Amino acid sequence: MKLKSALTIAALSLASVSYAQEAAKVAPLEISGSVDTYFKYDFAKVPNIATSFASDQNSISIGMIDLALKKTTGKASFVGELSFGPRGQAGSLVPQGAESFHIQNLYASYAFTDKFSMTAGFMGTFIGYEVISPVANFNYSTSYLFSAGPFQNAGIKGSYAFTDKVSLMVGLFDDWNVYTDVNGVSHIGAQLTVSPVEGWTAYLNVLSGKSAGAVGVGTIMDLTTSYQVTEKVKIGLNAADYTIGNSGGGYSGAALYLQNAFSPAVSLGVRGEYFSTKDKVNGAANLNVVPGESVTAVTLSANIKSGGLTFIPEVRFDNGSADMFAKSNLLPTKSASQFSLALVYAF
Amino acid sequence: MKTFFLTALLLITVTVFAQDKPLSLDENGKLIFYEVVDLKTVPRDSLRQRLDIFLKAEGKALKVKSKASDSILQAAGKTIIRKTALVLSRPSGEVRYNFYAELRAGKYRFWLTDFNFIPYERDRYGNFVPATSIGVPLERKPGKLNAGEWDAYVKATTKDVNAFAARFKTAMQQSSPLQPVLEAVPVISTKKW
Repeated sequence: MKLKSALTIAALSLASVSYAQEAAKVAPLEISGSVDTYFKYDFAKVPNIATSFASDQNSISIGMIDLALKKTTGKASFVGELSFGPRGQAGSLVPQGAESFHIQNLYASYAFTDKFSMTAGFMGTFIGYEVISPVANFNYSTSYLFSAGPFQNAGIKGSYAFTDKVSLMVGLFDDWNVYTDVNGVSHIGAQLTVSPVEGWTAYLNVLSGKSAGAVGVGTIMDLTTSYQVTEKVKIGLNAADYTIGNSGGGYSGAALYLQNAFSPAVSLGVRGEYFSTKDKVNGAANLNVVPGESVTAVTLSANIKSGGLTFIPEVRFDNGSADMFAKSNLLPTKSASQFSLALVYAF
Repeated sequence: MKTFFLTALLLITVTVFAQDKPLSLDENGKLIFYEVVDLKTVPRDSLRQRLDIFLKAEGKALKVKSKASDSILQAAGKTIIRKTALVLSRPSGEVRYNFYAELRAGKYRFWLTDFNFIPYERDRYGNFVPATSIGVPLERKPGKLNAGEWDAYVKATTKDVNAFAARFKTAMQQSSPLQPVLEAVPVISTKKW
């Protein structure tokens, strides 16, 4: 009986190993994703800093479960990415009623040639340095530039690679962060990608159009670049300017990212950011920064990795040009600070 | 009967888990796959032709970096490391390497070295892309936190390098370019019955 069980188990194991080897020869279905959880504490005991996600004060809270599917067959491919949990649901905008999930990516792509491809669907935005998924961000709290900018863009775009150093994307897009555009496909966007030397990539981005309910045409111009200086040192820069016509407001800012990898398992990074909002007339407050005011933020984060797990301890200091935060006694103040501990597992 | 089943199980296990030639360390402490092959009756020019045919067949997978006049051919290649579980798979990184080949009348040698691991991460569109442009040498010990994964990368690289070497040696043994075999399409005759 024991021998029968052993043979059965061995046969099943061999079948799964060989199946995996055979499957590897054709493009397999890729499943990947992440889960994240965090604890954040604002030293004023109120959630002062308007970071996306990581917003709960003095609570062991969850981010999201993120699941992504990708399949490539010949020249065609698709990506479908769903997330469940506060980071993927309320934190990622697109409120659609009672859904308990959020679509991060849902698109199909076709590579007509090695140089030219087209993609259509709902995609992570091409604007900005930081993203929704905690896996691709070094810092756990997000920058003001990230929170103020688009998260996703539904649209259709074409990409052409002139050389392996220069490529251009042009597309038509819906309003920011919506599955459906109620005032018609109204935005045009473009991205120029340049890699002057190995390790250095720069993206020049523009997205312009009139969103439903806006007083004027909104145009965002964005520079995102990163340079792997050495095996250990990486520098990143994000600068953006967003203006809505007819004194509709907007914002501008820049963030610098410096990271040093002490070992493959341990890295330290600092982010310095300046963010300001425009127009005292008609401009709405972006992230507690009232029109005409500004804020600087310094964030120090560590990434400690073991396999797919990353532990991110972080401390952050924000200082406004006016009283835009609250003390523990709820009196207004110009500065705020917080620390957080986050666990992110990517698979 | 028991002996038969146990023997069969042992043979299958050996076949499936056949050992690849492991990577060695060279004089500089770098991982290397090195082999010298004798082909006694083959002149150098023929070996060069076969090498050129192999490079053409590999296409973009191998980028030649040396000049045609150089005595040692140098080319850059990479192998994708995948995490596989049953039918599911996704790339976890790539290992870049340099391939060298030197020819003489009746023999040739080749080696693969300068293995550098570059981890992949998922970008904003759900695609896996290199997380950095500068790799970590594969011979470097990663420390306890990532030791298990690093061993897996070295094993996967060893497997792919052995497969590459087998392809290369087969190509170098071919006296003429392989022609594609056109299978005749079976046709049923309705005239004779």
